[in-house]
Amino acid sequence: MKKTGALNLGRVRLSGNQAVARGALEAGVRVATGYPGAPISDLQGSFEQLAGNIRRASPFTVKLGQALDEVNYNLTAHWGTTTNEDNAFAFALGAVICKGDRKKREFLTEDEWDLVYGETAFADGKNKSIPVGSRVMCSFKHLGGNTAADAIRVAVNIVPYSGGLGIASGDDRQGTASQTMQDNKVLFSLHFRIPTFELHSPLTAHQTVRNCYRLFEELGTPFAVIMNYDLSYREVSVDLAMEVDLGANMRQKSFTRDPKHLVTIGPHIRPRENKFHAHLIPLFRKKIGEYFDFLGNKVQQYGEKPRTLLLLNGPFREDFQLVKHDQTLKNRLLKKFGGIVAVETTVVFPQPQSLYKKLITKLAIEKICVFEEGYGRVIYMQLLDLVSRYGLDAKVFDCGIPYEPRIYERFSYIDHILAS
Amino acid sequence: MAAKLNRTQDEITYMRPVSNCAGCGDTKVSWSVYEGMKRFNREHELKGKDRYQIVYVADRGCGNLQGYHAYHIVDAILCMGTGAIVGEGIKESCSEKQIVVTASGDGGYNFNISGSKFAAKNKKWGAINIIYNNYNIRMTGGQIPLETDFDKEGAAMGFEVIHVNPYRVDDNAELFKGLVDRYLNKDKVMVVADGVCVLDMRREAASVGLKLGHFIKSEECLDLKFAQEREMVSRDEPEKLKELPRFKCRLCGIGLRCQALLNNDPGLCFGCGACAQFPCPVGALSFEGRSYAISTDITELI
Repeated sequence: MKKTGALNLGRVRLSGNQAVARGALEAGVRVATGYPGAPISDLQGSFEQLAGNIRRASPFTVKLGQALDEVNYNLTAHWGTTTNEDNAFAFALGAVICKGDRKKREFLTEDEWDLVYGETAFADGKNKSIPVGSRVMCSFKHLGGNTAADAIRVAVNIVPYSGGLGIASGDDRQGTASQTMQDNKVLFSLHFRIPTFELHSPLTAHQTVRNCYRLFEELGTPFAVIMNYDLSYREVSVDLAMEVDLGANMRQKSFTRDPKHLVTIGPHIRPRENKFHAHLIPLFRKKIGEYFDFLGNKVQQYGEKPRTLLLLNGPFREDFQLVKHDQTLKNRLLKKFGGIVAVETTVVFPQPQSLYKKLITKLAIEKICVFEEGYGRVIYMQLLDLVSRYGLDAKVFDCGIPYEPRIYERFSYIDHILAS
Repeated sequence: MAAKLNRTQDEITYMRPVSNCAGCGDTKVSWSVYEGMKRFNREHELKGKDRYQIVYVADRGCGNLQGYHAYHIVDAILCMGTGAIVGEGIKESCSEKQIVVTASGDGGYNFNISGSKFAAKNKKWGAINIIYNNYNIRMTGGQIPLETDFDKEGAAMGFEVIHVNPYRVDDNAELFKGLVDRYLNKDKVMVVADGVCVLDMRREAASVGLKLGHFIKSEECLDLKFAQEREMVSRDEPEKLKELPRFKCRLCGIGLRCQALLNNDPGLCFGCGACAQFPCPVGALSFEGRSYAISTDITELI
């Protein structure tokens, strides 16, 4: 069987939502569920079109749909048929817990495999391969995270069977189309405590999504990607060249009995909850540090003898790209901060502490400025914890904004960085 | 990193099996599901990899927890009220040889309606949706249930609704055997198990002056024979007692999760009559007298 399919679709316009769909399809996602609601509707709507449930109406779905049909790509999509987010997520859970196939280890050592899979029905595997099944995406708007909370929490209790499940949350932090304003970074990071990422550009979102599937499927945990209103709808023109993981898409289907993991009663989940917090989250943290670049993050130095570390997340990261092309902005940046290390990151949780600790101690960083959008200050708090935990001689500054600017009032994030 | 986790005191947890009354109807249905699948494979001479298997997806609740503890046939219990939709998700990713059966109590049924509706409308697969009608069984202590009309609601969703007497375990096993065929034909069936709470059994029977029957085990019963052997060994060669396994055959007691059968004590028997249809391998089990296996309507038992 052909393992990958190269699809060249030429120049198309791509929204943030479509970019996430692109990443999921590149990862070989076979089942997509969700519940509509601004700003995320278009993501699941794209899957619906690609699965042939509704007419393919955009150039993206027309071109891509045709190309996927030609390589016999398997895609099931349920959008309006799942009556709410909880239903959509429970459907996704059912689809992801079936581990009928195996793949070689890419990211885990043998000891780490023992930690993740050592107590499952697959513990006797001689070559310590990874039990895998359908890759699944579930998407909903920010309020959907509340509706689906019961099922999402259960997804944590059945780790590693929920590996291969990606959640896309469309945050409407400005309350444009919602009755409440909510920052789901808080929900996914601090409540569910699953690996959480904030995407920043339709140009690169697919890489993060695709590689999150690869890494976190192996780690046996679901992950969440979060977009704000602006990113969901913003379109860019791209030359759409995709490498689709057909091997993942066409895996063998089967349900493997493991009631000790999949019957979620107290005696089963208590030890696993303990393990998740005490052992697995540190493992996720470590792996995110090891595969920081792979997940679409960058560390770059500007100027000499950097004493300031800028941590740029979400839209701040997007606007920071201007510095690379505009010498005036770069000069203003260096004048304001002196030499800096810019960490352009999508990671919201868990932050790779050892990576930051190494940077801070090696470069004698004195000041850490955290630029994140939203109410939660999730990254800022983790950096504070890091500095305090390791007794580092650096001050952490909250330089983000506690809201998402209105979509029609183009807010200059780079000006905010330079003014902070 | 350590290859194996060190088990801390906190991780040593105890199991708390659900303990159902001897005549509880919920405990009988899941046996019939399991037996029905075996009979289906036997009838079609399916062996090894060709056999069909059941993937039993349930909601939270005593009826399903006993299915897990007593019969080990419950494969997944995730969130409350999502058994039906989780089952639909599993169908997307399990093999064609795996038959997904979903089960819930009537509380779960109400919570599950959107998932059940999805299952009824999904044209890709069949559906077997079991409801333990706790309106009758009162598993949770006589709570006042919602007024639920399974016939109308099930039909409105797109299911054929079949009511079963859970104590007629052999008939039900035959029914489930047939339902596997229908599942493969993409039929949508809702099976409502209308049991009677054992507390009500006694009360109802007493109110009409009816004495319910009880089980009888003949001398052929392997468990009784073994008990006699133990008695003999303990009398004549007590030093060999430790070498004997504690039990030899408890198929009926374990299968029906019946304390009376497990203890070989007719005095504990509520008189549900489920054992009347239980296929004892040596034909040693029978039932004497009237029972709810004849009918769950007391007026028909008088």
